[in-house]
Amino acid sequence: MTHNPLRDPVDRRLPRIPEPCALVIFGGTGDLARKKLIPAVYDLAARGLLPPGFVVLGFARRDWGDSDFEQVAREAAMSHARTPWQEDVWQRLAGNMKFVGGSFDDDTAFDTLAGTLDELRDSHAIPGNAAFYLSTPPAQFPMVLRQLERTKMCDNATAGGWRRVVVEKPFGHDLPSSRELNALVDQVFTPEDVFRIDHYLGKETVQNLLALRFANTLFEPVWNSHFVDSIQITMAEDGGIGTRAAFYDATGAARDVLQNHLLQLLALTAMEEPVSFSADAIRTEKLKMLTSISLPGDKEHYAVRGQYEQGWLAGQRVPGYVQENGVPPDSTTETYVAVRLGVQTRRWAGVPFYVRTGKRLPRRVTEIGVIFKKPPYLPFAQTDTEALGNNQLVVRVQPDEGVTLKFGSKVPGSAMEVRDVAMDFLYGEAFTESSPEAYERLVLDVLLGDSTLFPHAEEVEASWKVIDPLEEYWAGRKPHMYRAGEWGPKAAEEMLERDGRHWRRP
Amino acid sequence: MTTLWDTTGTEVVKALGEARRTAGAMVSGLALTLVVVADEKKVAEAEVAAVRAASAHPCRVLIVVRRQIDSEQPRLDAEISVGGRLGPGEAVVMRMYGRLALHAESVVLPLLAPDVPVLTWWHGDAPKKIAHDPLGVFADRRVTDAAQAPDPIAALRIRATDFAPGDTDLAWTRTTPWRSVLAGAYDNIAVRTVAARIGAEAGNPSAWLIAGWLKGRLGVEAELVTTSGPGITEVYLRLEDDSELSINRPDGHSAVLHRTGVQDRRLPLHRRDIGDQLAEELRRLDPDQPYARALSAATGITELENRPAGRQHEWMEPALANGAS
Repeated sequence: MTHNPLRDPVDRRLPRIPEPCALVIFGGTGDLARKKLIPAVYDLAARGLLPPGFVVLGFARRDWGDSDFEQVAREAAMSHARTPWQEDVWQRLAGNMKFVGGSFDDDTAFDTLAGTLDELRDSHAIPGNAAFYLSTPPAQFPMVLRQLERTKMCDNATAGGWRRVVVEKPFGHDLPSSRELNALVDQVFTPEDVFRIDHYLGKETVQNLLALRFANTLFEPVWNSHFVDSIQITMAEDGGIGTRAAFYDATGAARDVLQNHLLQLLALTAMEEPVSFSADAIRTEKLKMLTSISLPGDKEHYAVRGQYEQGWLAGQRVPGYVQENGVPPDSTTETYVAVRLGVQTRRWAGVPFYVRTGKRLPRRVTEIGVIFKKPPYLPFAQTDTEALGNNQLVVRVQPDEGVTLKFGSKVPGSAMEVRDVAMDFLYGEAFTESSPEAYERLVLDVLLGDSTLFPHAEEVEASWKVIDPLEEYWAGRKPHMYRAGEWGPKAAEEMLERDGRHWRRP
Repeated sequence: MTTLWDTTGTEVVKALGEARRTAGAMVSGLALTLVVVADEKKVAEAEVAAVRAASAHPCRVLIVVRRQIDSEQPRLDAEISVGGRLGPGEAVVMRMYGRLALHAESVVLPLLAPDVPVLTWWHGDAPKKIAHDPLGVFADRRVTDAAQAPDPIAALRIRATDFAPGDTDLAWTRTTPWRSVLAGAYDNIAVRTVAARIGAEAGNPSAWLIAGWLKGRLGVEAELVTTSGPGITEVYLRLEDDSELSINRPDGHSAVLHRTGVQDRRLPLHRRDIGDQLAEELRRLDPDQPYARALSAATGITELENRPAGRQHEWMEPALANGAS
C-alpha cells in the first residue's frame, strides 16, 4: 500500500476507514449474523466508516439468490441496528450484497465462493481483501477451515490482499481442544490474521479502564496490594439459558463466561502498564497476568458452583434450570460460579480476586469493584465511623457504563459522623447518545487489521489452564442450589464471610 | 426550569446552583462549557443545535443573546434549565440589553464550569476580530461560521487574517464527510493528481476550504465551478494516468463515486444538521492544524499555524464593530 497523500496523521477528523474489502459471513442466515453482524455493518455504513469498495458475502445452506439475502439482511438491519433507519444508507449497501448457497462439505460451493471473491477485483476494485467470519457452530470450524485452505482463499499471497478470519467463542472446551483449534486456525491462516471475538472487549468502559488506569496519576499509585484489599468482578445475568440448552448443559457458566469474559476483565484490571498502546504490548501484559493466576487450595470452599431452582424474578415466576426445555432432570451443570483467584506477582500477592457469574440473578450487571483497605488508624471515636466501609472504585461495564467512587464523608450536622457516599461518573447511555455497539467496533477493527481488542491464542490457552483444574475438581460433584432471583447460593456468601468480607451488591 | 426577569449575574449563579441541587445533576461528569452567541432571530435554532451537541458531550451550555445595545437601561433576563427544555444537561439562556451586552463576560465568567475548557460558538455573523468579543477571548476554542456571513468568501479571508490556533469554522466541519470519502477513494490510488474541479453553490466557503485542502495535500489548484447546489455538488479529479475520480452529490443526500474502470458506487453523503456539526467541534479541544493549512492555502495568507495562541481583549465601540448586534 502506497502512502495516501490525503491522510494526515494530525487530521483527526477523518475517521479510520478500512481498505476496500469483502466481509464473508459463514452462517450468514443465523442468529448472530442477523442480530449483531449485519446491524453492525449497517451502523458502520451510517457513520461513514466503510470503504467505498465494500461487499458483504453470505454463505449458508440455502437456495438463495443475492436479492433474497439482501432482503433478509435489510430486515435484520431495520429491526436491530442502533442508528435510525435511513433508506439511502441501505442503498449504499444494497447491490453490494452477494450470496453463495451450499453446505460446508460442498466443494463446488466453495469454488463458487472463491470465484465470486476474485470477480470483486474488477467489479468493485477490491484487491483481494476479505475477512471470513465464522458465525457457525464450533463443530463446523474445521470443515470450513479445510475448505478455505483447499481453495487457497485463506492465502494472502494468492489473494493479493489480506485474508483474515474471525472466530467466535467457544474457543474449545478445555486446554487440549483449544490447542487443537488454535493450531488448525493458525496453520490455515497466519496467526496475526486470526481474530477471536470477545465482545466484552469491544465495550467502551472496558477500553476506558485502560484510560482510567494509565492516563491518570490518581489511581495507579494505589493500584496494588499495599492499598487494595480485594477485587470483585461480577457478571450477572437475569436471563436464563434461553434456547441454548444443549450447548449450555455441556458447557456451564465456568466455560461459558469465566474462561473468557471474566478472566479478560481480570487481566485488564490487574495488568502492568503496557509499554505502548499497541496490540502486541497489551497482549504481552495481559498474558503475563493470565499465566500468573493461582487457584484456591481449598476448592470446596473457594470454588463454588451453583444451579438455579425455580423462583421469582422481576415479578415473574421462572422455572429452575433442570426444568428448562432440553435440560436433563439430573443435570449437574452449573449456572453460577464464584471463585477466589490470586495473582502471583509482586503487585498483587495476597490480594484475593473474587470472580463470579451467574444466570437468573436479580439484575443484569457487569462490574469490576476495587475494594481498598481500611485506614490503619482512625482518629475519630469508634461510634463516629460505624457507617464507614472500605473505599471502593467501581468500573461499571454494563449497564449505566461509568465509574463509581465510594468514600467516607461527614454527615452534615453538629456531630462528627462519617458515612459512605458514592460519587458517580456517567459517560454512557443516560447522558450521551448511545455508544457504539461492541460488535460495531470489533468488526471495524477486524477490517482495519487492529488486533488490540482481540484475545490471542496464547491468552485463550492460558485461560483454559485456569479453568481445567476447576472442572476436574467439580466433575462428579453436585452444584449448590440457589433460588432464581437470588444473588447466588449461600456457599458463595460464606466464601467471603469466611475471609471477613462480603459481596458488593451491584 | 427557572426564569429570572431583570436580574443580576449573582442571582443567575445562585439559581443555577439551586437547579443543579434539585435535579441531582452533580452525578454527571462535565467535560466543557459551551458558550453560544446568537441573535434573537436565531436563538431557537442555536438552542436545538446546542442541545444536540450537548447530548454527545456532557457540557454546560450558556447561550448569550445581545439585544438593543442602544437601550438606555441595561438589563439581564435569564432562563435556567437543568434536565428540562434544554436537554439533559445544564443550560442558561441569557438576554442582555443596553450596555450590559458589551460586558457580557461579567455575567458569563462566574457561570463557567470550574476548570474545564470553554468553547465559544457564534451562531450568526462572527466578529471581524474575535479579540473584540470578550466571550471569544477567554475561550480555549472558538467556532465561527463563514457560511452565515453576508459574503462567505470574504468571511474566510477575515477568519484567516484574524486566525489564532484554536479557531475553527463550521464551513470546515462541513467538509469532513467529503474529505473522508475522498481520502477513502485515495487509498487505492498510487499516481499523481493533475487536475481538480469542485462544483458548488455560489459563495460556498466549504468548497473553498476543500480546494485549499487539495492544494495543500495534492499540490493541485482546483477549479471552482458554480452549480445550483445544494451545497457542494461535485468533486472531480484527474490523475496522471488519465483516469478520473469523481464524487457527485446532486441532491445533498447521497453521492455517486465514479472511478475509471470500476463500476459506479452509491454512498450516503448527508448534509448534517448544525447540531451534528457542533458535536464534531466539541469532540476536539486542541488546535486543528489541517484547518489552518487548508485556510491558509485557500486564502493565500501564510504561516497561520505558527501564530501565537490566545488573544488580548481589544475594546471596540459597537458603532464600529462588525457583527456585534
